[in-house]
Amino acid sequence: MARADVAVVGAGLAGLTAAIRLAAGGARVHVLATGHAATHWAPGGIDLGALPGAASSQASIDRLAGIDGHPYAFLAGEVPAALAWLRATMGSAGLDLVGDAADPLRAIPTSIGATRLAAVLPDGMAAALPAWAPDETLVICGPAGFRDFWPAAIAANLRREASWRGQSRPERIEAIAVELPGIAGRHNLSGLDLARLFDEPAWRATALDAMARAIEGRVHGPGRIALPAVLGLDDHPAVLAAARARLPFAPFEVALVPPSLPGLRLFAALRSELRRHGGRLQVGEAVRGTIGADGRVAELRATAAAREFVLTAGSVVLATGGIAGGGIVADRPGSLTETVLGLPVDGPEPGHWLLNDPFDPAGQPLESAGVRTDSRLRPVAPGKPGAPLAGNVRIAGSLLAGQRYLRDRCGDGVAIASGSLAARELAGRPPVASQGSVAAIAGGVG
Amino acid sequence: MMGRMTSRRPLPRSVDVLIVGGGATGAGLLRDLARRGLGAILVDKGDLASGTSGRYHGLLHSGARYIARDPQAARECMVENGVLRRIAPACIEDTGGVYVATPDDPDDYVDAFPARCAAVGIPCVEEPLEALFQREPALNRRIRRGYRIPDASLEPWQLVEANLRDAAERGSQALPYHQVVGMERSGSFVSSVSIADVRSGTVERIAPRIIVSATGAWAGRLAGLAGIDLAMSPSKGTMLVYNQRMTDTVISRCKMPGDGDIMVPVHTVAILGTTDIPVDDPDNYEATPAEIEALIDEGEKLFPDLRRMRILRAYAGVRPLYAAAEVHGATSAGRADREISRAHAVIDHERRDGVTNFVSIVGGKLTTYRLMAEQTADVVCAKLGINQPCTTADEVLPGQGDPRGYYWLGDRLAASEATGGGDAGLICECELVTRPMLEAFLAERMPCSLDDVRRSTRLGMGPCQGAFCTFRAAGVLAALDDGLERAADEPEAGVEDPLVAFLRERYRGTRPIAWGRQLQELWLAAGIYQGVLGVDALVAAEATVGDGPG
Repeated sequence: MARADVAVVGAGLAGLTAAIRLAAGGARVHVLATGHAATHWAPGGIDLGALPGAASSQASIDRLAGIDGHPYAFLAGEVPAALAWLRATMGSAGLDLVGDAADPLRAIPTSIGATRLAAVLPDGMAAALPAWAPDETLVICGPAGFRDFWPAAIAANLRREASWRGQSRPERIEAIAVELPGIAGRHNLSGLDLARLFDEPAWRATALDAMARAIEGRVHGPGRIALPAVLGLDDHPAVLAAARARLPFAPFEVALVPPSLPGLRLFAALRSELRRHGGRLQVGEAVRGTIGADGRVAELRATAAAREFVLTAGSVVLATGGIAGGGIVADRPGSLTETVLGLPVDGPEPGHWLLNDPFDPAGQPLESAGVRTDSRLRPVAPGKPGAPLAGNVRIAGSLLAGQRYLRDRCGDGVAIASGSLAARELAGRPPVASQGSVAAIAGGVG
Repeated sequence: MMGRMTSRRPLPRSVDVLIVGGGATGAGLLRDLARRGLGAILVDKGDLASGTSGRYHGLLHSGARYIARDPQAARECMVENGVLRRIAPACIEDTGGVYVATPDDPDDYVDAFPARCAAVGIPCVEEPLEALFQREPALNRRIRRGYRIPDASLEPWQLVEANLRDAAERGSQALPYHQVVGMERSGSFVSSVSIADVRSGTVERIAPRIIVSATGAWAGRLAGLAGIDLAMSPSKGTMLVYNQRMTDTVISRCKMPGDGDIMVPVHTVAILGTTDIPVDDPDNYEATPAEIEALIDEGEKLFPDLRRMRILRAYAGVRPLYAAAEVHGATSAGRADREISRAHAVIDHERRDGVTNFVSIVGGKLTTYRLMAEQTADVVCAKLGINQPCTTADEVLPGQGDPRGYYWLGDRLAASEATGGGDAGLICECELVTRPMLEAFLAERMPCSLDDVRRSTRLGMGPCQGAFCTFRAAGVLAALDDGLERAADEPEAGVEDPLVAFLRERYRGTRPIAWGRQLQELWLAAGIYQGVLGVDALVAAEATVGDGPG
């Protein structure tokens, strides 16, 4: 049996934001997660919102806030402060965030040679943001034989004007595959393997040298260099500095298929921040709880192989993600269930979940499925906003109903805004319920 | 390139025989004619084996399924079953089959089963229940009887490729993505055939001496181009692919054939089949939620835990049923499709319609493809005055001695470890497809789609349904394309981006069964392709190129 003032379920951006901010305020916080979250496969930027045709993330946020039932309808105002907090937190870990909600959305290259719209990126990716000057060359440079970054394929797609979503693009695009030291023929290396190699100062010096010479021999004049996002894991700031010093043009990292190095760095920074404030993080087990007759959740149970772990908590943040994260499951066609507390899920009618074309710009209707809340993030039944189902529970992140995080690219903004609001809501609350045996335990928590 | 099964050369002006349809029957006929010394070419409007041959349940029939209603088809299946085991061993996994009697199956059918098998030459041995349940512990314990018969698992794509390779070694080639768009008649004779290259849009005319339609469910449409009225009764069969082999034996129900009464282990998965629903348009069919529910409901009678098992995808194929109802002056209205014979028919349109050089081969099933080809080749040879015996039943197909032939995933792993181990360049982790395997296929078949790659290598057919490998395979394809010095600035007009096309195809099979883990997997794939890779920009780029014949 363990005790905490606040139990946070889910270790993604939303859960960790809530957990860190509560722990920083002095609460005893215990994070339980079944597995790692979207940070491990997210593209690495902070997506606040990117609607087609919108001038900025802020304009997108404003438009989404006007949509009835969208989380931004009550969270939009939280975003600037939440982003400032995240920027400071990441910055103290040496991972600066570049760009702001008011900046123009830019089409930045992806590792398949398409683009996606972004405005706020980690420092290592940020050189992709400025508009392209007419005489600039984009160099796509990656390790020869690396199976998750194919310079020729990326360049071929990026040479198509339509890939750039109507935005400025480089005049020339060159693809360069470079044999890196000691890994010739090692075609099964993952991005993570390469990042660990780059963490070694001697190896990275030789590797960057090989890349620089290959580029210098081929490309002259102004340019920028797209590299796979493998520039170190633990020592990323040093690797980035070395790359900037040695390569002929400004480099930027391009996110790869999972696992995402920028996401892993983000997760590592948040985890150490949580630990610095005394918070605990426990990953690996399915978590369940029940809402008591008093309308509160008193404890959570995590089923491990050999025993059951019980966490008694004064309040709970549920940030288990949506369908991708496992916070919502469809046991059978047409039926959606919230996995921890069995909360009602608001979603499209059965039979109308998915469209014929996976790339329909309208987005999949099922994306909007989630738990409804009041403006204080307390869960409610769909259509009954005035009657919270559990007074000491707050919902955060992708579990919130009404958002289309893939279509609207608002997931990170919703995560940090709801995580921050949940933390403020639960800060300073009495540690546990004031009745029954649980209260006796709470007395010792103080 | 020497030994290519497919051609990039222009069409020959004249040829002895034009075969339309690149499924198993067409490929088998190309081989048969080549072995009898006849020059032939084969065209298909899509990829080879992408129609019914590539969309069936994977069963090498013993014939036991047809013993009650269609003894002739049953007998043919049993004979061809033996032939294919001899000529195509690398395409077959000898799983064996068991017909089981569940409490829902009628006693009279169960009791008559061994005698009916004996009557058509199918060896049938009752297996003690204790031994059956020990071998197949996932089976329903209320099963009350089991009969072993020689069913097996048959790989259609490798079979078609082996037939084409044998034909190619004798100079006959196949042209995928070539569609017959018109035929010109001079009286009782088809004097020329117009064939469109689907990818470039160019149309050429050729004058074959004989035209054979091996188009299956599409036979009515092709005959129509020659001014011939041929009524087909295409029937849709929907199948579910499970993530696991809950059985190592083909399991069927001891009853008249119906929905969801057969489970076939195929490579790493198992396939539950099938439904039987008449369709009007053989190009337009989808697996519906109601069909899927019906399949699972019935399948649970074989495997009670079925509903808890993960389904990877649903797919449907169209049976090339030929009602022959017109012969008897009946209509096809209100027909029950399982009552239409699975037997095949070689239709000489000279005798039926007075068109001297047009032959259709309709009906039948994959197991009897070789026999269908033989009988069709006999008709063709008679017309051309050729007197050469058929050798396809005696000569083993090429590549059957290859130890990589009918592989287990473990064989691929062992081969990969023997040649570099963990550094072999794994492109598809679920099915252990390596970069050298992919490049070898592409060297022979480019230009082609990633779906073509899938049929040959099983790329993207595992649990992730292409989430990770699609992107990598597109990279290999682009790298080779780059080497071919193709102008990479703009895509070819009307050609769907290969990555987008493959993702759409995989989605089509996942959407009908999107619940549980597979829904989560779908969301992960969407997160990768839309969230991380921004693939919607490629879709937009494709749209600006113009709508092509996709």
